[in-house]
Amino acid sequence: MNSAQLLLIIKRLAEGMLTTTEIFALTLVLSLPLGFVFCFMRMSKNKALSTVMKVYISIMRGTPLMLQLMVVFFAPSLLFGLTLSWQGWRFTAVIVGFVFNYAAYFAEIFRAGMESISPGQYEAANILGFSKGQTFFKIILPQVIKRVLPPVTNETITLVKDTSLAFVLSVMEMFTEAKQIVATTSSIAPFIVAAVFYFVFNAIVAAVMGKIEKKLSYYN
Amino acid sequence: MSKVLSMKNIRKSFADNEVLKDISLEVEKGEVVAIIGPSGSGKSTFLRCATRLETIDSGEIYYGDECMARTDEKSGVIYADKAQMKRINKKFSLVFQNFNLFPHMSVMKNITSSPISVFGVPKAQAEKTAMSLLERMGLEDKAKAYPCELSGGQQQRVSIARALALNPEILFFDEPTSALDPELTGEILKVIRGLAKDKMTMVIVTHEMSFARDVADKIIFMDDGYVVEQGDAKELINNPKSDRLKAFLSRFEN
Repeated sequence: MNSAQLLLIIKRLAEGMLTTTEIFALTLVLSLPLGFVFCFMRMSKNKALSTVMKVYISIMRGTPLMLQLMVVFFAPSLLFGLTLSWQGWRFTAVIVGFVFNYAAYFAEIFRAGMESISPGQYEAANILGFSKGQTFFKIILPQVIKRVLPPVTNETITLVKDTSLAFVLSVMEMFTEAKQIVATTSSIAPFIVAAVFYFVFNAIVAAVMGKIEKKLSYYN
Repeated sequence: MSKVLSMKNIRKSFADNEVLKDISLEVEKGEVVAIIGPSGSGKSTFLRCATRLETIDSGEIYYGDECMARTDEKSGVIYADKAQMKRINKKFSLVFQNFNLFPHMSVMKNITSSPISVFGVPKAQAEKTAMSLLERMGLEDKAKAYPCELSGGQQQRVSIARALALNPEILFFDEPTSALDPELTGEILKVIRGLAKDKMTMVIVTHEMSFARDVADKIIFMDDGYVVEQGDAKELINNPKSDRLKAFLSRFEN
């Protein structure tokens, strides 16, 4: 292989990287808040609601993400007889699958974070007259964010690698590209390049999360 | 004299365990009341009922003329509505055994966050009040520090400043020195003595008998959910009448 071929591989994978980044960013931006919603439902005093959430989370964690993606993609046509010829459906299905899967994991991380806050914090807020909303946003949430940062970093790094699962729905993210090039050129180089891309991406993620963690280390 | 707090016939159970069995307490303006008694006697629960951290099963609680809770024969205990509760909330504050400062906020923010965000005090004014309280606590150089950088005694003094920030009519202390070693206990007791001298109305749950005797006007001895004995602080400690109080006090003499 010459350098021109290598350059071509890098160029095509870099293009795929755009879709990879899109999947990553959209999933993160949507699943973090949804994770909090799921966390509240899971912690709800309403028994039915918390049980539903508990079952939902155990399904999301207990079955492969790849399978979930396929279920999301095929459900409209196989379950409801809808024909989705819409171009963007593959990508949308990937995002829906990822968001609902990751929100389940984040919900459990947030729950652990919420439960680690001492009841005394709520009581002090109560005595000082803070409303429930103020107590959550001003007192509890900042402390929860600090505590859940390390496990959230873990999940985020896993997410970078999981984006490669989008290939099952033939979404042209970076790994799908790499596989196609390997199939046509019989060279292992695309995989090596893909590995480097993932590794660098995760190095950036780890550095950013480390920075945030450091920023929040002014108290303990 | 005007009554700052009036609690009548308070009952409270946790499941089958009745913790408060018909307890009443009236606190006059400027009065210091100490509540003593063995662990599990209901002292802390009583304070938590007074400050609405626990809801009562029956009885009534008044702050001045404002009713926080009353018992209706038909519908049981009725608590003040939101607007009323906000007014009442300003009248009292509570100092916790474990301080419960907000770890992510500086000392200054710990003291000013409630006045600013809950009661709409202008920031400059809230900070001025906070600085003068910190000076009073001997902590004027710690405004920018975070709770984790302070000793236990300093943290407790910050929490007292936080409790005073809204100028409450009555201040409750729930075993304010129990989490501190003897050396640091002294500095907190000194602060409370200073407040008593300034005629701050206070209700203090404490295990410090000599402190209770010296600083309180009135002592209430609780055991097993009842008020066993109450009266003038010195009289009660020096001449206990009931056998239970005698037995309790004898454990503190050595």
